Amino acid sequence: MRKGKLRDLSFFLSPMVLMVFLFYLIPLVMTVYISMTRMRNWNVDRYLTEFVGLYNYERLFYMFQHDPTFKAVILTTVVFVGITLIINVFGGLALALATFFIDEKPASSYRLLWLLPRMSPIAVYSLVWYYFFHGSEIGTLNSILMSLGIISEPIPWGQVTPWGAWSVIIFVNGLVGVSFGMIVFTSALNQIPRELVIAARVDGASSWQISRRILIPMIKWHLLYVLTWQFLSLLTTYPHLFLLVQWDLVNRDYGTTLALYVFNTAFGRGEQDQGLAAAAAVILSIIGILGGFVTLKVLKFEKMMKKPRGDF
Amino acid sequence: MRAAALWLIALVILGVIASGCIGGEEAKTSQAEVQLTGDFTKDVVEIGKILEQNGVKEVKFSAWGSGDPNSVMRVYGIVEAARRINKIWADNGINVKIVVTETHYVASFQDAYKEYLSKQPLGQAGDFFVNSYAFLPTLADEGYILDMTDYAKAYQSVIDDFYPSLIEASKYNGKLYGLPQDTEARPLYIRNDVAQKIGFDLNGLDEKVKNGEFTWSDVYYWAKKAKDEGAVEWGLIHRKGSAHPDLIQFIFAFGGKLYDPNTGKLVVDVPAVYKWLYVEWKFARDGLLPEDIMSWDWAKQIHPTIVEGRTLFDIGGTWYWTEWQTKQYYAKGGTPRGLKPEEVKAWFYYTLFPAGERGDKPVTLSQPFVWMINSKAGQLNPKYDELKDVYHKLAFLMLIKASDPDINAIHSVISAHLPVRKEAAKLIKDEKWLNDLKALNLDLSDEVKSNIKDIVEATVNPINAQFLADVSYMLEYTHLAPAHPKYPALADIFKDAVDKVLRGEMTPEEAVNYIIQKVNADPELKDSVEVQGEIPKDWKFPQG
Repeated sequence: MRKGKLRDLSFFLSPMVLMVFLFYLIPLVMTVYISMTRMRNWNVDRYLTEFVGLYNYERLFYMFQHDPTFKAVILTTVVFVGITLIINVFGGLALALATFFIDEKPASSYRLLWLLPRMSPIAVYSLVWYYFFHGSEIGTLNSILMSLGIISEPIPWGQVTPWGAWSVIIFVNGLVGVSFGMIVFTSALNQIPRELVIAARVDGASSWQISRRILIPMIKWHLLYVLTWQFLSLLTTYPHLFLLVQWDLVNRDYGTTLALYVFNTAFGRGEQDQGLAAAAAVILSIIGILGGFVTLKVLKFEKMMKKPRGDF
Repeated sequence: MRAAALWLIALVILGVIASGCIGGEEAKTSQAEVQLTGDFTKDVVEIGKILEQNGVKEVKFSAWGSGDPNSVMRVYGIVEAARRINKIWADNGINVKIVVTETHYVASFQDAYKEYLSKQPLGQAGDFFVNSYAFLPTLADEGYILDMTDYAKAYQSVIDDFYPSLIEASKYNGKLYGLPQDTEARPLYIRNDVAQKIGFDLNGLDEKVKNGEFTWSDVYYWAKKAKDEGAVEWGLIHRKGSAHPDLIQFIFAFGGKLYDPNTGKLVVDVPAVYKWLYVEWKFARDGLLPEDIMSWDWAKQIHPTIVEGRTLFDIGGTWYWTEWQTKQYYAKGGTPRGLKPEEVKAWFYYTLFPAGERGDKPVTLSQPFVWMINSKAGQLNPKYDELKDVYHKLAFLMLIKASDPDINAIHSVISAHLPVRKEAAKLIKDEKWLNDLKALNLDLSDEVKSNIKDIVEATVNPINAQFLADVSYMLEYTHLAPAHPKYPALADIFKDAVDKVLRGEMTPEEAVNYIIQKVNADPELKDSVEVQGEIPKDWKFPQG
């Protein structure tokens, strides 16, 4: 590389490199280090130098083998991330396609409606669903179903394990997450030349055929982006789950994902065990890296990164 | 250019040296230690003089507390103590003043603990911290609170006025880390009106409970009768959340234990735990106790069910007595409202938590709140490093003052907690003093008066004072959950097990095995817990 070009690159890239170093690399290294100490109760002075090697990882492995709660946490993580991911990606796609075929004005209003959960403060949004799914007659859903005569006794939705708890957390998080895909896909769809759609219409193609044959293939990379992004995001998300579990709306075992487990272990009410939490966080990061890598590989990310043909 | 730069550097160095010399004498610390004598005024004056000599005119402290809305004296006690010390200094011509810069008061004591834990190492936590004694071992173990053992020696006469069990609860490894602030009992409340409907004679019941003649089998019998006769929706309502500290009363009521002082380990007393879970399971299976009570809403379900008489029995706390008067839980007949003191008195009978079965003893459980001092108390004040000992001793003297009998008695009356000092217990029985409190005709700062005015108005009356006097005897039967750093983790497991048996997800036997499995699943917890005894064979509940 020419010296001048290297200098230019360094100049433009240095702020980002510095940011990545400060806010990503250092925390990652610190997390790995803390996972190998007895850090607890935020007593940095005492524990930060107390190196215990892989002790916290051994504890986690032992708990995985023997603790039914920990097994439930792992299972919940898999189910929650898997199903919510499908809802977020394909729900977002469905919304974007649906609004693509209608007039812009109603489409905008409709999209805005789906953005509301994302715009609401987390506590307010969670409280709405707390009362909606509450397992007694004070719960909106129960009172509606009871007044319609569909059920005679209130159903403790979030406490029916495992699927009741899973359904509530997937529903609440899915509703927030679906708008992200919708925005990205809408933006991508709007970049597609209208002539292609009009021509297909003239040829007698239905909306479904247009979507399947023209639109979806053309936004393939956006699909890949949303899929990867949402996967990583769901793997580490916990605020809504935290509140729903904290308020006893959903079962603790089957409402806790690994990300929430990390949070509770580090910041919980009893003993706050940052060493153990860091070990779980490292495992979470490894799952994230592997998962992200597999997603990109399966969907052939490298093809998108090929240099464009033509003049360069 | 270079010469100019050299001149500039030389000038700066000279300036620094000069500033070090000018006023150097003033910066010198004259005396940095004080000996506590036990004479409060003398000690305060001595500390005031040292601070004055060192040029300190204002000492800043912050007070962190938590609890129900009526328990604000947990922080205003500190404010009042500061005013009383300031008065001593002013009377003695000492120009120093304590300013309580922050009274941080939140509802959840667990959240307050979490906040303290994360902010203490950063030096951002309150100088005074009042919270459950249950957190004291961890805070002491981490060095986050001050060991006041030596300070307390000079004030042995004050220490001796506290109830001994509460002083014990403020210790960890034999050292004193706090002073008791309040305590309470957890009575079994019984609805008089419902009892009357079903022919349940409550006369002399508390004596039968005391003698262990009225057990949980009797509670079951009457709860079932009340439900079967349509007098109530539920037979029993109890608290929810972590099993600490309410429901573990069952373990003690069945003669079990939670801690082995010989080994210093927590104990899972299998027979007692099994019996506890069996009682919960049986009540829930027979529809006498809601299966989902552990996820009930406090304000919308638990309290309204009790105050509206939709249950015969309730396991609660003494503080319920005034909470029912100040919170709008009663919604029969339209607009929600608080109960009148006369209504609470007429509707509720209260007694000890009955014995599990014949031969066992009745119990209650206390969770004393203790005043603790941050091990970095006063760090934001001038010359902290040199005057650390003085600031710490001043903080201790503030706690001694905040424990004045009248301050403690005010807190007890307005929050329905039990006094921690014998002198305070005498005061709440004094009619004249109660009338003065009602009129706020006491030596209190305007700030404190204005902050407790509404609470005083709603709670200070002879009925509430009589209630406190009536339940004080329960402290003789009290138990404390173990002060062990791993106890909260074990309590959480108990809570999960109770939830599972109530919902019918597990039988009592399965739940006991679940507890043991959970304990053994965490190597650190396993090391701190002993599992003792076996599930009793052929044990029956209810018993005749």
